Amino acid sequence: MTAVEPGSFRDPSGQVFESDGRIFRTITARALADYTFVRDSGVLKRLIDSGRLVASEEVDPSILGNDARGAPIVVEHSRIPFVSYPYEWPFPALKAAALFHLDLQIDLLADGVMMSDASAYNVQFIGPRPVLIDLLSLRRYREGEYWAGLRQFCEQFLNPLLLRAVLGVPHNQWYRGSLEGIPTAELNRLLPFHKKLSWQVMTYVVLQARLEASANDKGTADAGAIRKKGLTKASLLGILTQLRGWIAKLKPADTGKTVWGDYARNNTYTDAAEEAKCRFIAEFAQAVRPKLLWDLGCNSGNYSAVALGAGAGAAVGFDFDQKALELAFDRAVSEKLNLLPLFQDAANPSPDQGWQQAERRGIQGRRDADGLLALAFEHHLVIGRNVPLDQTIGWLTGLAPRGVIEFVPKDDPTVQRMLALREDIFDGYGVDAFTAALEARARIVRAESIADSGRRLFWYDRS
Amino acid sequence: MNRIYKALLAVPAVLLFSTQNAYAYLDPGTGSMLLQGLIGGIAGGMFAIRLYWSKLKSRFGRTPASVSTRDGEQAPTDKAR
Repeated sequence: MTAVEPGSFRDPSGQVFESDGRIFRTITARALADYTFVRDSGVLKRLIDSGRLVASEEVDPSILGNDARGAPIVVEHSRIPFVSYPYEWPFPALKAAALFHLDLQIDLLADGVMMSDASAYNVQFIGPRPVLIDLLSLRRYREGEYWAGLRQFCEQFLNPLLLRAVLGVPHNQWYRGSLEGIPTAELNRLLPFHKKLSWQVMTYVVLQARLEASANDKGTADAGAIRKKGLTKASLLGILTQLRGWIAKLKPADTGKTVWGDYARNNTYTDAAEEAKCRFIAEFAQAVRPKLLWDLGCNSGNYSAVALGAGAGAAVGFDFDQKALELAFDRAVSEKLNLLPLFQDAANPSPDQGWQQAERRGIQGRRDADGLLALAFEHHLVIGRNVPLDQTIGWLTGLAPRGVIEFVPKDDPTVQRMLALREDIFDGYGVDAFTAALEARARIVRAESIADSGRRLFWYDRS
Repeated sequence: MNRIYKALLAVPAVLLFSTQNAYAYLDPGTGSMLLQGLIGGIAGGMFAIRLYWSKLKSRFGRTPASVSTRDGEQAPTDKAR
């Protein structure tokens, strides 16, 4: 069964297909010259060997049959463990992707290769490592050409980063509603006067917004003149390195390192409970060996790290706490973990959206996980968001055939805090109701109370 | 170069105190192109100076700063954060 990847309709140079779990890309006649230039100059191989471009191998075009529509070349790509979008990336991931894009472009210019766009969606993550997935965005550099991707780079990388670095507002929610990124004109309107006094903000936000506006007023009359004037390669490299230097120094305006440092330790468990929990998870991961583990409420990635160490192949962590996600991402980088922490609100997960509501997939429509961790998580849905316990368990067990769910009782300090200023409407909430809801859907392989906390871990299997 | 400098010095004051409607969805990116025309000269000059400086430093036995060398992976990363 061959299906067109619904997000790949924009580019007439080729399309992406999925066939029996394999990923193919057609390269049409119009893109052939650029593709062969990049391939024959050795750039393609060098990028693939260094892990910066997703692995691509030419295959016999007849493998796609009529779907290839006469495309002279078809390549097969290796699969990305989990497709994610920039509106799900935490700040350090978006920053890593931005630096990756700039470094790649700077490097490619030495070989006379230019990237035709600067779409953040062309960057994917393998663990915390960014990789380019669109080889059709590589083409021959033309002497004197402008960086056509600057505006897109600003909207999809720079502006969302500035939102957090300058104003302390995370980019995720706005970006999710505005798939093409954050418009420069709108960011410009939000920035207070004193934030505009830095020369970089002045140049890339204030001046650019102004020039965009005036170009619109004048129409495209002077676009031709500008294009003719051209930009030297040194100027292009200058702009790229300047942006790189600036972005490398950006950090969230609303956090300090000290806050983060305490964050990992700031929970309500004793060391003995923590140890028991880690042992339970390690045994689960060792027995199940999930290829792709979802860690809901991943916090700083502690338990993902334990599971990865015990036999899980890859982990995707979800949390809505920005500081926790940042800590988890930095940890995945420094400890070389195959862990990708993503922003996600379980009560309002990423939907199917974009063109025909199929361009960017919702979180559940992407590749299925075969292992689940939901530790100290369910009470945030049940008590925090009033989702009925039975629905919560149904949803959780539906995400993966096997997993570990932690039950947090009502007398737990965290739940007590959640209930402190509101009426307790959760009469049926208790370990018995939890167990019954779980048993209705899956076999309980093992259950274990965690030290004296009253919390209880359940290892379920519905396969 | 001189002209660009003047232009750059003159714009901030105008920019800070004026607002205008933008219909960016109509525009193919002319504004960003105009921006490159304005800042390209200075950015290119600074780039040349940094390149020259790193070559000079490497001549005197210090490790060169990575400017456009092919060391994407080792180039200064966000470790400093």
